[in-house]
Amino acid sequence: MINFEDVSKYNISKVTLSVPKGEVVGLIGTSGSGKTTLIKLACGLLAPESGKVWTLGKDPMRYRQRYASDISTFIAGIPLLDREDTVLQGFETISAVYRMPKDIFKHRYTELSERLGFSELSGRRVKDLSLGQKMRAELGAAFIYEPKLVLLDEPNVGLDENGKSALCDIIKEISSRGTAVLLTSHDMASVSRVCSRFAILDAGKLIFCGSMNNLQSRFMPINTITVKLGGSIPDLDDLPIRRFSLNGDTLTLEYASNHITAAEIMALLLKQTEIREISIHKPDLEQLILQKGGRK
Amino acid sequence: MKDTLHLMAVYTRTTAKAWFQYRIDAVLRSLAVFLREATGIIVIWLTLMKFDTLNGWDIYEMFFLFSLLFLTYGIMIIFFTGLRDFGRTVRDGSFDRFILRPRGLLFQIVFANSDWFAAIGHGGLGLVLFLISAGKVGIKWDMFSVVYYIFTILGGVLIQGAVFLLLAALNIYLLQTDSLKAMIYWNMRKFAGYPISIFNKVIQIIMIYVMPFAFVNYFPAQYLLRKSDMAAYPKVYMYLTPIIGILMYLAAYLFWRFSIRFYKSSGN
Repeated sequence: MINFEDVSKYNISKVTLSVPKGEVVGLIGTSGSGKTTLIKLACGLLAPESGKVWTLGKDPMRYRQRYASDISTFIAGIPLLDREDTVLQGFETISAVYRMPKDIFKHRYTELSERLGFSELSGRRVKDLSLGQKMRAELGAAFIYEPKLVLLDEPNVGLDENGKSALCDIIKEISSRGTAVLLTSHDMASVSRVCSRFAILDAGKLIFCGSMNNLQSRFMPINTITVKLGGSIPDLDDLPIRRFSLNGDTLTLEYASNHITAAEIMALLLKQTEIREISIHKPDLEQLILQKGGRK
Repeated sequence: MKDTLHLMAVYTRTTAKAWFQYRIDAVLRSLAVFLREATGIIVIWLTLMKFDTLNGWDIYEMFFLFSLLFLTYGIMIIFFTGLRDFGRTVRDGSFDRFILRPRGLLFQIVFANSDWFAAIGHGGLGLVLFLISAGKVGIKWDMFSVVYYIFTILGGVLIQGAVFLLLAALNIYLLQTDSLKAMIYWNMRKFAGYPISIFNKVIQIIMIYVMPFAFVNYFPAQYLLRKSDMAAYPKVYMYLTPIIGILMYLAAYLFWRFSIRFYKSSGN
């Protein structure tokens, strides 16, 4: 549905990425990493400096209007509802713009407003809503006309847990019907439930693209085991560990999870000594990605 | 076609509801526009009580001249608010939103917003001035003059709309055209209520050939009123308003179509 081929624009450099039908791709990166630029390239608001962007098989800069009904774009700076309108009026305008049949519109509006929790806000003016309320209504507006491709820039901002899980459910549902979704977030944990693939942007460069499992093996090799020893200090020379430290009777081991497992380490330790307590710590993804970003 | 009319109706209904959401505020603000513009007229009225005529134009003829200016602006602004305020249309994200929707870009800008207070204030003043003056300036309102008058109004709307469209297109290159708009539109409009024959050559040339307000009210009024100061200008100018309106709008539209290809959304 979207293909970026060697795309450069502003700080984006040579990004190659594709979003196939029915997949949900999460574009992860800190602010300023170029997420919004990629979304704007995909919908045809920006042209690449070099490289090619294909959206629904066409150049989005030229065909953005013709395919507008097939694509939905949600970007914080581009509100879908006019702030002076009431929520329902704003949706009715969208329904007229996208030539939606009345009964389908009513059905979709009722469903989305209940699921995203803005049905009670129908008569309120958009400018009078809180940030979270506005986000719910705006997200509803992004899904109302059932496009083939949905682009969501930071859809989680301002949503509470209920809102986030409603959003996840809706995304899962539309992707199971074949809709492709490209969404961005600076917070990987909040979108990990819904994305089938992740693309990680760091200062405009795509540093990773793949599934969660791939991501873990590439970015999370260093785990830590902390044990309280009940006996003598063991000999660790034969273990393929990165580093260890001893503080009284507390031994801390850092190891690469793709070289040795926690179970193997424990088996070796237990052969030589007694252990009173164990804790295993896996660093979280974001921290690692940030570290990697910071090292450059 | 049917769904275009439907969308126009939806847009008109929602913008009217938005502008008139606070009834008393809406009335007061429309009235404020009306009074602000009327002040200038009152000053002229007081002046003419002393001098009787201005280069041969009496007070009712002056009212008639002004009424064309206000009526055309009142009608024009119903359609061209999004272009008059084009900087804001871009800044608040509306322009990007229109680009991403399956409807004509200009169509959406034209119908998605209307400054109803300006429309009522200017249009209302124009109507009042017309009603005061139309019976007293010696115009024979037969079918010809009514048709001429309607085409004059349409031409005047198009001339001013073309200027706003042109400035909006320039905004794509220059990013900020408010001061240019103030210079060529709003400043020249201050002269436009008077018979241009009272001004020096430079201002006359600007009013006829650069920002052609003379074709919005002076020349059409001359056709209907036949004042002696028309002798200084080619007679054919009295018939050109609709043609100039169409040509200017067409040129502005082509320039707009050319310019939007260079539009860049902000990069975030």
